[in-house]
Amino acid sequence: MNGWIGRCLRVNLTDGKHRIEKLDTDALEKYLGGRGLGVKVFADEVDPNIDPLSPENKLIFCSGPLVGTGAITGASCNVITKSSLSGGLACAKMRGHFGAELKFAGFDMVIIEGQSESPVILSIIDDKVKLVPGLEYWGRSTAETEELFKKNLGDPWIARETYLVSIGPAGEKLLPLANLVNDRFLSVGGAGIGAVMGAKNLKAIAVKGQHSLQVADGSRFVQVINTLINKLNSAPLTSQSMSQWGTAFLVGLSYQKGILPRNNFRSTSQPLKNIGTEALNSAFALRGRGCFACPIACIKKADVKYSAFEGKGMVPTYLAIGTLGFNCGISDLSAIGIMSMLCGEMGLDPVATGGNFATVMELVEKKAVTPEELKIDISFGNADSMIEAIRLISTKKGYARRLGQGGMAISESFNMPEIFMGVKGLSLAPFDPRAIQGMGLHFATCNYGPHHLYGYTFIDELLNVHENLDPLETQGKASLVKRHQDTSAVMDSLGLCNWPLMGLKFNNYIPMVNSCLGTNYKADDLLSIGERIWNIERIFNMKAGFNTNHDTLPERFFKEPVPNGPAEGQISHVREMLPEYYQLRGWGEQGEPLREKLQALGLEES
Amino acid sequence: MPRIKIDHAKCTGCRHCEAACSLNHVVNTVNPRRSRIRVMRDGNRYYPVIAGPFVDAACTSKQFIVIGDQTYDMCAFCRASCPQKPYFIEAETGIPLKCDFCGIPPSPSCVRWCNTGALELVED
Repeated sequence: MNGWIGRCLRVNLTDGKHRIEKLDTDALEKYLGGRGLGVKVFADEVDPNIDPLSPENKLIFCSGPLVGTGAITGASCNVITKSSLSGGLACAKMRGHFGAELKFAGFDMVIIEGQSESPVILSIIDDKVKLVPGLEYWGRSTAETEELFKKNLGDPWIARETYLVSIGPAGEKLLPLANLVNDRFLSVGGAGIGAVMGAKNLKAIAVKGQHSLQVADGSRFVQVINTLINKLNSAPLTSQSMSQWGTAFLVGLSYQKGILPRNNFRSTSQPLKNIGTEALNSAFALRGRGCFACPIACIKKADVKYSAFEGKGMVPTYLAIGTLGFNCGISDLSAIGIMSMLCGEMGLDPVATGGNFATVMELVEKKAVTPEELKIDISFGNADSMIEAIRLISTKKGYARRLGQGGMAISESFNMPEIFMGVKGLSLAPFDPRAIQGMGLHFATCNYGPHHLYGYTFIDELLNVHENLDPLETQGKASLVKRHQDTSAVMDSLGLCNWPLMGLKFNNYIPMVNSCLGTNYKADDLLSIGERIWNIERIFNMKAGFNTNHDTLPERFFKEPVPNGPAEGQISHVREMLPEYYQLRGWGEQGEPLREKLQALGLEES
Repeated sequence: MPRIKIDHAKCTGCRHCEAACSLNHVVNTVNPRRSRIRVMRDGNRYYPVIAGPFVDAACTSKQFIVIGDQTYDMCAFCRASCPQKPYFIEAETGIPLKCDFCGIPPSPSCVRWCNTGALELVED
């Protein structure tokens, strides 16, 4: 097979047995791999109404067909499960080298079932699949786990090529905010997944292997990649901004347009001095780290400039700066860096954690709870106590432990659900939906909660790369959102990173896909596969209890206009755009995929 | 004589060079373990190492270098495919590998795909 390995590993933790299965070639054609295939298998095998933390829930790791082949930015491995935070489907994108190494280890997909009695580590090294007792790793941070595991392997040459994905103490304690961390410091970015892995008593997965990947037309493939690298180098955003500062370069731009939220999405005011790329340069010594086969290398590692880092942290991304930082009223980049590093070590999701604390801070400000009751002085702008609180919630120690239940649960426990800024139980990524309407519609409708990584509308709305759109305009935004959501579904399924879309058009990828897989896809064929994936995700979520009432934003964005800044006076127009979006998707008024649409997509027999 | 200059400070550890090398040497196949350039990792840094002459005995002088407070294993930066380490040896046949400046001249395939400038072709 070209691109795909064609094998799947199914591990049952309850009885400790595993078996190797062949992948269904029909499903590969219809769903490509990665996110698409993972969701398809998950939806087929798992009842949407189970408890996410029960042994019946499954955890699927799936690498796309282009991962590891050398296709540019082909590195992402998707993790699919039922989220313990939202109760719906969760799909996280894992960057770094784990996805490619999983392919070299001989598997496209790993399915984890059941629940182990004691902590274990799944080790897939050189075709030997085994469950290693994990008691000595339990309670350790993600970086320590990786170090110790490699040390215990004995052979430094094998250790050098082994890649790990693990949960931190937060996942072990079944914290809903927990996620996975791979390659020592890369946050996998999907809240609610860490607790599922923790409930299965699986501490980590280690992979290494020597399998070869086949490419359909090698010489053409090499040519296409040469031209794509040249294209990326001639685009200013990918060649300069991203490779110099990573996604953090967006902070300044986003602030200028009034999109960057502050103090739990209540203001964009208070001019900030310490933002933008200059502050980043002076706060950190930036060193690029590339995911497998990435010519951009947007991950920035902080080499020692701060003693607290000791060279192990990652420079905060746009997400971390926005959610852990400005939305909690903190603009000190070094403090944000320490929080982001702590999240990585403890295995917490930065977006969910930031949203969680922003909610608590507003509760304190509204006097629903006093700092004395919480026994920690947590308030907007107080970085030191937030760092302390992150430590406390991740180990469930101290009185602050009840603060780690996720923004929605906390706000409900104080009878103020309206101050939680999130959709479907997940916190909003740092884009104010009132100032960027297309992103607002995406936040409301996204199957995985309000996260910009599943629909890159800001590429056209904020950065104006392919189209010059006004972020405050609502005209044409429904089709923009649909197109970006489908594109993102395809890219994830192929295993490609979405960020190069800031320099490349989706069409540029088609020759690379075809020469690698030996197929004859056109852009529209791939986009309809993306639509198919989006629809099965939607159907699963509707069975799990979501409906059109969940396709909305917090009331604040409809009632309270932006108080100041470039987007002053704006409110969100999601409710006006929603019917048009449903119509474009071929869904009914209640947001349910209609029979005709499903037949057209081949999801239902006619 | 053209040489490939390696600047480890610019290396991001993306291993695109490994993919390029194996695609150029084994028809339509990608496998970093069959590549003649490997990116070694020691501590926080990445070091691309290009396969050089091979020896049929393990060398007797294992060395460590100390830079600052870190100790580095010298074997990781050594180009030789010696019995001490499993690198630069074709797993199936046991034949040692050696860089041959493959690809379309002037740039070898790994240099062409290295986007950060860690690998560079220089003339002496």
